[in-house]
Amino acid sequence: MHHANHFYGHAHVLAAYCGLDPEDPPRINGYLQHGWNVVDGLGAGTPYVSGRPIYVWSEQTRRRAWSMGRRYATTVGAPFLYLLSMAEPGDGTSREGTIWYPFHGWEGQHIAGDHQRLIDEILETEDGPVTFCLYWHEYRDDRTRRRYEEAGRVICHGYRGLRWRDTDTRFLHHQLTELRRHRRVASNRLSSAVLYGAAVGCEPAVYGDPMQLAGEVRTIADRIRRTWPELHGAHPDPVAAQESARAELGADVLASPAELREILGWARP
Amino acid sequence: MGPPMTLRHLGGEMPGWSDATPAGGPAFRCLLEALLPLVPAGARVLVAGPHDPELVAALPAEADVTCLVRGEEDADALAGSGATVLCGSLAKLNDEFDVILALDGVSRLCTVEGPQYDWAESLQALRRALRPGGALLLTVENELGVHKLVDRTTVTSAHTDADWRPVGEYDTTPGNPARLRDRLTADGLTVTWLGTAWPLPSAPTFVADEPTLRHGASGALAAAASGAAGAAYAGRRVLSDPRRLAAAAIRGGLGPELAPAWIVLAFKGTATPVALPPAVLGAGPMPELPPGRLLEELLIGACLRHDLPAARRLLTGWVAEQPAATADNVLVDGETLSVLDRARPAVETPVAIRRFAAMLLAGGYEHPWPAARDAGSLTAVLLAAAGLDAGPVPVDHDPPPVPDSLREHEERVRRLEEQLADSAARIRHAESELVKRDGELRRARLQIDMFSGKVGYRLGRLGARAARKAVRLMKDR
Repeated sequence: MHHANHFYGHAHVLAAYCGLDPEDPPRINGYLQHGWNVVDGLGAGTPYVSGRPIYVWSEQTRRRAWSMGRRYATTVGAPFLYLLSMAEPGDGTSREGTIWYPFHGWEGQHIAGDHQRLIDEILETEDGPVTFCLYWHEYRDDRTRRRYEEAGRVICHGYRGLRWRDTDTRFLHHQLTELRRHRRVASNRLSSAVLYGAAVGCEPAVYGDPMQLAGEVRTIADRIRRTWPELHGAHPDPVAAQESARAELGADVLASPAELREILGWARP
Repeated sequence: MGPPMTLRHLGGEMPGWSDATPAGGPAFRCLLEALLPLVPAGARVLVAGPHDPELVAALPAEADVTCLVRGEEDADALAGSGATVLCGSLAKLNDEFDVILALDGVSRLCTVEGPQYDWAESLQALRRALRPGGALLLTVENELGVHKLVDRTTVTSAHTDADWRPVGEYDTTPGNPARLRDRLTADGLTVTWLGTAWPLPSAPTFVADEPTLRHGASGALAAAASGAAGAAYAGRRVLSDPRRLAAAAIRGGLGPELAPAWIVLAFKGTATPVALPPAVLGAGPMPELPPGRLLEELLIGACLRHDLPAARRLLTGWVAEQPAATADNVLVDGETLSVLDRARPAVETPVAIRRFAAMLLAGGYEHPWPAARDAGSLTAVLLAAAGLDAGPVPVDHDPPPVPDSLREHEERVRRLEEQLADSAARIRHAESELVKRDGELRRARLQIDMFSGKVGYRLGRLGARAARKAVRLMKDR
């Protein structure tokens, strides 16, 4: 099993859904997509071994993976939705303000952009309190965290883990709880978090400086805006946006626990 | 006077010859029964070419039946049947009849001796042998029929002793129903019925007339033709699967053009009205066709489109509504699932699903679960998708033989090559992971030793090694 399968406790959530021990998920027979992306479902630089299935979130991603030579992409839907199907329904009454996810690169990446200018734009746009959710390495960076703390509440859902170690297996649970407290979810880039938020009833928005990664080309961000315009802008139509988000997460393709056990290779050890 | 002469040699007959696979089967017999009003007592009937003796026996006893065959062995076999037997070439026939049956077509009416009539000349010879107002029931093989398209052998290569003139599509046979009609009309014949015969010209088990095939319930008709092809080609070597080709042709509106054969009823001059069933399945008229499409085809479509919700809906509907029928025997019309052929044996649901899984893999169909590469794994996924409890994967102890298609063999080879390459890549990956893990393990062991007080021992060993090295260096000098 590739270690990315454990990121954010994804494997643990799926184990719970399948009726297995969430503390000790069995080995997954392939690669689990661990974040929304516009490539083949795998993270950049994942050493893919041909012939192993890639468990992707949506049929659209499967098609894209196929076009990139990945013949074994299997559509299962996002683990977050499996968590949602198990979670108690939210009461939906105490939603307030916006949860804002400033775009982060992962550990090895460095973003070029002005955090302060972004914060100013956010405060201008949002009419309620803003919770900033930082990625763990920005959260641990005192300078960055303090800058956001001056503008609102700052949280972190946890550490996603690396090579099976130190994974916060309740990462998605924390995220679900936080998302349900907010009326809006927003980011400067379309990302898993925005889609998750939309899936749990937040009004999604994507606006502000997209903060290029060092060496990143602009064309991908432009393509994303053209392909998913319904999710972009400070106030996109929430109904269309939520529908689009649910499709990206594979809401219509989720497998039953029995089927998922067979697909992940968990039914017949 | 002795017994009446029942066997007469015309000339051109072939000694020691018998024609293989004469025209026969229950569907032809059903058509003959419908034609009996044309055969009153004393009517003269010519059965031209090799026909199954059962077909000859189905003609009314009061009729005056004559059989024309070219081989002496066949003539001898028919001699006791009560029919007059003529042995020899069509070219030598000099008589007239009220009804002519040529269900084997015209290609085996001439012999090695004498003229070699092409299709058009044979038709004219048969027409000459008809009395005015007489009826001809003729089978015309389609050189572009599904049976030819899936044939692994070349028609125009001679394979048997009977192929002394293998002209195939280079004959004058009309190439589609419209041209066949025109040809017969030009010869002074009035065509009143044109049926399409499936899956083999000599022994059809499904016959549908042209209007039915063009305008009828295409899903059910395609299913019937596909089922007929599956039975006739079970275990037979073919180029590609005739079930799919037949079904696709009928659904696509090309059924009459790609039917293995056409059967025409034509009269010399004025026609006598006679009712033929619009479709015959097996031994009798096909019952009222339910609308809808074959479950198997819908499931294949859902798999090819990677439409998981549709595939799951079809699977759950199947096990809920028709759990004892195989997917190739269920018609789906919206929410209604009905069994196509109730005569087929019931199977246990898991076995039916396994057969579908095996078909999907054998056919090389793309499906949403690419990691399930064998029938067992795919069956397990499909059972779960159908909402059935995970038990042991069922074993199909008695899988029905299916067409053995070259195209599917090619696909299998390609897939195996891919899997072999994937396996090699996976082994390389596992080995490099192993090296990485070995490194981690070594470091971990060292740490354990360090923290468990074995440091002195380790240092001692290192010291000894260094001392040995120093001594060796000294010696080398």
